[in-house]
Amino acid sequence: MKTLRLMGLGGVIAYRALFNWTTPGMFVGTLLVGPLFQLLFFAYLGRQLQVADDRFYIVGNAVLTASLACVFGGTMAVANERRYGTLGHVLLSPRSRTAIFWGRVIPYAGNGLLIAVVTLAVGALLLGLRIPLGALPGLLLAMAAGSLACGFFGLTLGALGLRFRDVWVVSNVSVALLLLLTGVNVPASELPGWMVTVGGWLPITHAAEAARRLAAGDGLAAAAPALGQELLVGAGYAVAAVVLLKIFEVESRRRASLDAL
Amino acid sequence: MRTVRMLAIGTLMHVKQISRSPFELAIALVVPVVQATLAVYLFRSGGEEHRLLEAAVGAGVMGVWSSVLFGSGGAIQTQRWMGTLEMIMLAPRRPVLVILPITIATGLTGIYALLATLLWGRFLYGIKLDFAHPVAFVVAAVVCVVALGMFGLLLASTFVLMRNANALANTLEYPVWLVSGMLLPITVLPAWTSPIAAALPTTWGARALREATSGGPVWPSVGICLGVSLLCLVLGGLALTHVERRARAAATLALA
Repeated sequence: MKTLRLMGLGGVIAYRALFNWTTPGMFVGTLLVGPLFQLLFFAYLGRQLQVADDRFYIVGNAVLTASLACVFGGTMAVANERRYGTLGHVLLSPRSRTAIFWGRVIPYAGNGLLIAVVTLAVGALLLGLRIPLGALPGLLLAMAAGSLACGFFGLTLGALGLRFRDVWVVSNVSVALLLLLTGVNVPASELPGWMVTVGGWLPITHAAEAARRLAAGDGLAAAAPALGQELLVGAGYAVAAVVLLKIFEVESRRRASLDAL
Repeated sequence: MRTVRMLAIGTLMHVKQISRSPFELAIALVVPVVQATLAVYLFRSGGEEHRLLEAAVGAGVMGVWSSVLFGSGGAIQTQRWMGTLEMIMLAPRRPVLVILPITIATGLTGIYALLATLLWGRFLYGIKLDFAHPVAFVVAAVVCVVALGMFGLLLASTFVLMRNANALANTLEYPVWLVSGMLLPITVLPAWTSPIAAALPTTWGARALREATSGGPVWPSVGICLGVSLLCLVLGGLALTHVERRARAAATLALA
């Protein structure tokens, strides 16, 4: 129970401290309006090229929009501690590193889920997509799984920030790669095999697949395998993040480079 | 003549400075290539293989816009963070002449994106660089970069009033890609977007490059692009002078 409290409360406090630069107007503009235009851009492009129907683009991109907040948020959870000079204090804590850093991901995943839900709702309204009411709980589950997996993916990238000076390059390139490799904008059948394989190891790929099945009215049973795969991918990144954080922490201590930017 | 020399040297200096930033280079080279790859697969999936060069050029222009948006939008903020804003504002020239080289430099850095997407398309996907009007393409590319630099000045002068302009810049990336018709024709968009598109130099720059690539009347688009950009330059210059005077009077030039 104490660990859960640490994860929840610690995550929220860190979120408020590290995500302190935003205002409500800025939040809406950056995290809600921007992703909505991403959805519209690909939906109109898909319509014009007749690659796939509106459902493919609206549902897929709505799930993907969570990646912006989650990947950058997960990265910020580590990188900004270092930037603000508080990473050393966090690492001096006698509590479990795993619980501390996993807890950091939760608010960002919540952020991502909110973005995905708003983007899906507004995108569907603007472009006239009907989603069966019964599919909504399953869709929420798929978007939550995608957001969480993205958050842990971002945390893994943030861990790399302890080793590499400019982690934001990695984050920006990763977010761009998610557009291509997750099959959200180009159907997997049209991508080369190696891209599909790499996409299978990335967050969002399976969540988008599950969400599309649910929006098509296939039911939770049909979407369950993809949902399970997304959760597995997320769990994999959660473990990878903790292992990398441990390795780089030990190395940073040895080389006295923990706070060196 | 002295003004032209100052603009040229200032632009060169800022291009050199930006070109030494691993972050700027990685973003200018890698992200547009990813977008070009996405565009190539999308156009192939849609059976539009004859438009792959157009897709590569469109992805390149998207990269130029991103470079201008993030570079120019944060131009003044960056100088402020580096502690050099007071020094450049102390220069005995108009603020517009001091900041314009920075915003043009961000457009020139964006040329990396255009070159990267074209070379990527040529060598990886075998896209023939078979431009309908090769000379006009080069002219249109130069005009597009300078025009976006002038548009960047307007962004820089308005964004300086906002505390976190860099974050706000994220919001404007996709809308301008969409409305300017960089990858898809603006005719497929709702009619109410047309006046917005017509007011943006990005629309005319992208159109000029597309017409130079696949055929069409390039020069009218180039002319309108320059006209709209000059208007942005005048508005940006006025806004910059106003903001600078206000910041000096309130002693807030160095404050975020």
